[in-house]
Amino acid sequence: MRYLVWPLVKFLVAFVIVQVIVAAMNWIERRMLGFMQARLGPNRVGPAGLLQIIADPVKFLLKEDIVPSSAEKVAYFLGPMLPLIPAFIVFCLIPYGPPPTFVPTDTNVALLLILALTSTGVYGIILGGWASNNKYSLMGGLRSAAQMVSYEVPFGLSIVGVLMLSGSLSLVKIIEYQEMHVWNLFPQLVGAFIFMVAMNAENNRTPFDLPEAESELVAGYHTEYSAMKFAFFMLAEYSAMTVNSCLIVSLFLGGWSISIAGWGITTAGLQALGVWGGLIGAAIFITKVMFFMLVYVWFRGTFPRFRFDQLMDLGWKWMIPLALGNIFVTGIVVLAMRDLRFNGEALLSIFGAVTIATTLFLLMRGARKPVAKVIHASRVSEA
Amino acid sequence: MLVEYPKPRWTEKFLLLDMFEGLKTTLRELFNGPRVTIRYPEERLEPADRFRGMFRFNYDRCIACKLCAVACPIDIIYIDVHDEQREVDGKMKKLKVLDRYDIDVKRCMFCALCEEACPTKPKSIWLTTKTYELASYDRNDLYFNMQELEYWDDRPQYTGLPEEEAPKQIGGEVE
Repeated sequence: MRYLVWPLVKFLVAFVIVQVIVAAMNWIERRMLGFMQARLGPNRVGPAGLLQIIADPVKFLLKEDIVPSSAEKVAYFLGPMLPLIPAFIVFCLIPYGPPPTFVPTDTNVALLLILALTSTGVYGIILGGWASNNKYSLMGGLRSAAQMVSYEVPFGLSIVGVLMLSGSLSLVKIIEYQEMHVWNLFPQLVGAFIFMVAMNAENNRTPFDLPEAESELVAGYHTEYSAMKFAFFMLAEYSAMTVNSCLIVSLFLGGWSISIAGWGITTAGLQALGVWGGLIGAAIFITKVMFFMLVYVWFRGTFPRFRFDQLMDLGWKWMIPLALGNIFVTGIVVLAMRDLRFNGEALLSIFGAVTIATTLFLLMRGARKPVAKVIHASRVSEA
Repeated sequence: MLVEYPKPRWTEKFLLLDMFEGLKTTLRELFNGPRVTIRYPEERLEPADRFRGMFRFNYDRCIACKLCAVACPIDIIYIDVHDEQREVDGKMKKLKVLDRYDIDVKRCMFCALCEEACPTKPKSIWLTTKTYELASYDRNDLYFNMQELEYWDDRPQYTGLPEEEAPKQIGGEVE
């Protein structure tokens, strides 16, 4: 009962909620991108286009399932399924609310397991791209593989700082550590930034959506896929996005808690309220996750796509050294906290908070104004 | 004239301010940007004044000179004329009378050379009617004779798909 049935029930409930979020993201993304581009987005099906959430899956189910005659049949069928399985399994490791009710399984290696599972998603993509027997699909698959392997490194390294501070791989422990101190976003600002960039790259989202660059590769690895197989790829991508949003919320934004140094909405406070407390915690968690899902769309509406060499430059020359530097500094801080009783974490938090505040202040102050400069026509080439 | 931006200070480079500036712009557009979409069947754009739309023909002005039929590059204007003795201002005069003035609009490319060729003032055939909703479910509907060319205002306007007929006719099932 305790080890089999309840985790399964919790997993299924969480799974259904997450799948509803994924289906809704289809509508939210198209609508939000539309607004950002001075369009309206889908608005014909139902009130404000909301029935699009149902219409799209129905369309995917009813469409003809085309298999190219020259495709490698077994690999072609496996392609869409392989990224789906790890993306789904991971949902039973995410803490949705205060334990014990809202955590499907609390293992002490949850984070390691999640990293291991999510990185297997690339197999399906490269297998599908290769099995389609189409050069664009293959290019997309290869790019995806190269990109995911490169960004797996900063992705993993950016988490190490958090692990050193909280001293545990269990997501529940990490969240409980954060509510007793401060959201890891502040002491681990650099780590959070690298994580954010790397998770965009991991999910093949803009500005790192080279595997499906429309202008270069038709549609990338899923060019030859149609109907439900294509929908599986989309489902896997959006599920992986949800997983990564859950991860960044758990690791850097305090999961279900809103508290500093034990003041505010904490696990103990929520547990005292019983089931209702748990539901409040889950609501806070899902709100934060939805915020990061919207940030994905926000990025997609804002940033142009990288060139492939720029992508590799950013990953290997900037992100990895930055992540290593972050680990180094955090290591010194942790040692100083243990041996010298010097509260370095507070110093790091202040640094992070000041950086965020400065950025916001400079943003509020407005853009730098362009200055008109008169130059004679004969001298334009010099200037 | 060149437009120059001030050199970014190191703080602005370090904090990636330009990226956040972009994010700020899209956020502003998201909440109170303009929406340029015209929701077509419910909202319509008024075409420009010189927009070439549906023909309008005026029987009274037409002098049956056939210049428009000559000018037409794909010969889709069909004109039949007969001569008639008629009394005008107390004198008997030989006049041309139009029997037939048909335009096969489904083949028309709206080049407006017929309008250009028309010698009457004002023109007796013109295209600046700002009407563009010409689609029809039957190709024979797009062959206009001279009465239809003059009085087509009661043609049904497009308001959406006719719910029962639409799939039958698009699918091409002939009963």
